[in-house]
Amino acid sequence: MFRHMTREIRFLAKDRGALFWLLLAFTLSVIAVSFGVTEVREQRETIAALIKEDASDRANALKGQEEWGSAAYYAFHFTYAPPSDFAFAAMGQRDSSPWKHRIRMLALEGQIHEADTRNANFGLVGRFDFAFLIASVAPLLLILLLYDLRAAERTSRRHDLLVATAGYSLAIWFPRAFVRIAALTILLLLPLWSAALIEGTSLTITLQASGIAMAALLIWWIIVEWVNRIDASPSILLTSLIGLWLALAIIVPAISKAVIETNNPVPDGGEILLLQRETVNGAWDLPKDATMKPFIAQHPELRDYAKIDGPWAWKWYYAFQQVGDQKVAPLAQQYRKARLERDRQADLAAFLSPTSFAERAFEKLAGTDTRAMIVYEDAVRGFHSELRAFYYPLMFPEAQYNPALLNNLPNYVPPS
Amino acid sequence: MNAITRIAREEWRLWMRSKIVIVAALIVAVLLIVTSVLTADRITAEQSQRLDQQIAAEKTFFSQPDRHPHRMVHYGHYAFRPPPPLAMFEPGVDAVTGQSIFLEGHRQNTAMFADNKAAADLGGFSALTPANLYQLLLPLLLIVLGNALFLRERESGTLAVMLAQGQTGVKLALGKAVALLMVIAIFMTPLIAIAIYSVNLGESMLAASALVAGYSVYLCIWGAIALAASIIIKQRAVSLGFLIFAWLFTAMIVPRFAINTSSAVIYAPGKIESDLIMLAEQRKLGDGHNAADPAFQQLQAQVLEQYGVEKIEDLPINWRGVVASNSEAELTQLLNRYSEERMTLEAKQSHMFDLFGLGSPSIAISSLSRTLAGTDLATHHRFLRESEALRFDFVQSLNKVHVERLSYADDINRNVDAASSMRARVNSDAWQVLDAFRFAPDSPQQRLGNAGLSLTILAIWLFMVGGVILLAAKRVKL
Repeated sequence: MFRHMTREIRFLAKDRGALFWLLLAFTLSVIAVSFGVTEVREQRETIAALIKEDASDRANALKGQEEWGSAAYYAFHFTYAPPSDFAFAAMGQRDSSPWKHRIRMLALEGQIHEADTRNANFGLVGRFDFAFLIASVAPLLLILLLYDLRAAERTSRRHDLLVATAGYSLAIWFPRAFVRIAALTILLLLPLWSAALIEGTSLTITLQASGIAMAALLIWWIIVEWVNRIDASPSILLTSLIGLWLALAIIVPAISKAVIETNNPVPDGGEILLLQRETVNGAWDLPKDATMKPFIAQHPELRDYAKIDGPWAWKWYYAFQQVGDQKVAPLAQQYRKARLERDRQADLAAFLSPTSFAERAFEKLAGTDTRAMIVYEDAVRGFHSELRAFYYPLMFPEAQYNPALLNNLPNYVPPS
Repeated sequence: MNAITRIAREEWRLWMRSKIVIVAALIVAVLLIVTSVLTADRITAEQSQRLDQQIAAEKTFFSQPDRHPHRMVHYGHYAFRPPPPLAMFEPGVDAVTGQSIFLEGHRQNTAMFADNKAAADLGGFSALTPANLYQLLLPLLLIVLGNALFLRERESGTLAVMLAQGQTGVKLALGKAVALLMVIAIFMTPLIAIAIYSVNLGESMLAASALVAGYSVYLCIWGAIALAASIIIKQRAVSLGFLIFAWLFTAMIVPRFAINTSSAVIYAPGKIESDLIMLAEQRKLGDGHNAADPAFQQLQAQVLEQYGVEKIEDLPINWRGVVASNSEAELTQLLNRYSEERMTLEAKQSHMFDLFGLGSPSIAISSLSRTLAGTDLATHHRFLRESEALRFDFVQSLNKVHVERLSYADDINRNVDAASSMRARVNSDAWQVLDAFRFAPDSPQQRLGNAGLSLTILAIWLFMVGGVILLAAKRVKL
């Protein structure tokens, strides 16, 4: 076997066409990974800068406040989901869902759905990251490397002779294909490994990612091998392989997506906002009790302080903000659930397409999948309720305003 | 002429006998038709839905009860962007940006709930639209049909015979080109049908036919690339391999590379980031809710002098309304400065992206089709600007009501008791200040003008590849 391999390596070294594809694979991988590392650094810098800005802005906003209510009204808090140490390989949902917000103690539903818009073309075309390279481009390179292994020998009429001399046909084709695929895999993964070292990615994640990449390439190898057995001209083989690639990488995912989304409608986002706005704004015209009753149902411990005399009080203002959230909660919950359900079904559908599977697997490792974005949203919700838990016991009993206590304001901790 | 048509007919005969060609063409045709019907259906439904929502939002606003005018400023309004008719071919950025905005006082919200955020994620390519299919799939079909156009004659030895009979390489190439052109013409029919349908729905003839022309040029470029490869390259498998590589490179690698590059070269901060920087500046402007804010001292002196009175209580107008109106104007100026900066940066990024079209006709055609369909970034920016104008308009009209129709005394005493709070309201007929908002795409001439760069790039491509074919065909020998 070893002899076969060294022979094939010698052959490969002289095959200009194959060397071109391999060099291309390596270059693309270097480009994809460096773009990823740059982007992740930029995001980290942005977060670090915003944390600082946010703290000074909040200090500035709290200066001179005289009531708990106005302090809570003017103080924003920065929340964020930092990119993981593997995010450079798969930006995933970080491009379409926001990963930072500034929130305050007003109704959360009016704040959490805000989009942190970037150039819309980016979301439309997509990014050239390693996950895309390994899931979509690498299979094509593999096809181009392997499609005429046999057919080329057939066209030059050596095929039967070769097979006869070798004794069994695997002895020729396996080492030949194996050497090429091994070279392709290593050249694709080398830049990834270097970046993982630089970024300090954990060994298990790097190994898992390498495993996924290898598995994806292996599946495509099997497909190519299976098609290559057909006794046809190289151009017919290549055409059929490209057709298969199209089906598996583009058409199957698109159909799965369409089916999943039709079967799992998400509530119209506009409805959430509309209901939220009607509830919060409607509260101004309602008797105070209509707000305080549902509020107390959630916060029975504040029952004794829920009497509102006069047309205005901060605690009533925040109560109707919360009631707005309560009213919208079922819809928001439905929205969250539908997203999760779509994601769960996409997990299953990904088994139909090695491309979807590899891309999703990379996003999971990188913490840039839908679930990770929802975990971040949950962290924001958690932090928002901490804010309420901080202010309510001060605001409702109308405790003396004491700016020193604001040092104990809850601190946002990003999900890990 | 006769020789050319005969060559073309012969080519067709060969294609019709090839199973792989027939299967590929059928699959593409079915995909095109199904996707077109589904997308057209979805977009027309969305179009009427958004219009209904816009009208409903206006009705709700008008039917609000008597209130303090500032409550209406916060109650706010919605702006919707219905997809233009050609969006059923090219939905463009709509799925990424979202199509509705909540408008309220003191804030510029973003368009929320983009479809993409809740989409099932199955990898980078998963949305199929007719435009996508034309941009990605049809070039592949042309490659499959065209990679051996010329080669075949070479391989089977008929090339020598034809040249010996006095045919020239150019004539032969023309015949092959005619055969491919007929394929292109056939596959343009779904797009032409959509274009006609969109004209029926009110799209202009000019934009629809420019779109058809643009895609014809794009497909001709790919047909020409395939023909050129089949003339220059001597082996079938190499020719096909080269063409697949060209497709992979221009359709998949360059566009994403261009995105990464333009975002790395031109840094455009996200909204949350620029908002934070802005907020610091905004604090200096003072809080419009608080008329006692020291930031309004100068304004106060000015207004008192204008009306020749000593105290704000003596003013014939409501001082709190004046403050609200003034601070809204100043704040809006600030907000607009930041949003204009952001949009300018994004437009620069897009321009840079478009220039990458010189390396990839896919980029040029996708920009062209978004621009002509009215679903490009520039149109989204215009939507943002127009909805901002609408916002500022109704907020200031409400502030005017606040200044003129609510007395200062009633206003400052609004929180004393229930009766005083009732007095601090104005009659709901004042809510009629809202203008009807119907977002429309740019004029077709304007869109055509914006598409100029992409159109030029496509023309350059066709010209260059055509030149290559001509040169290569002239040199054809045995």
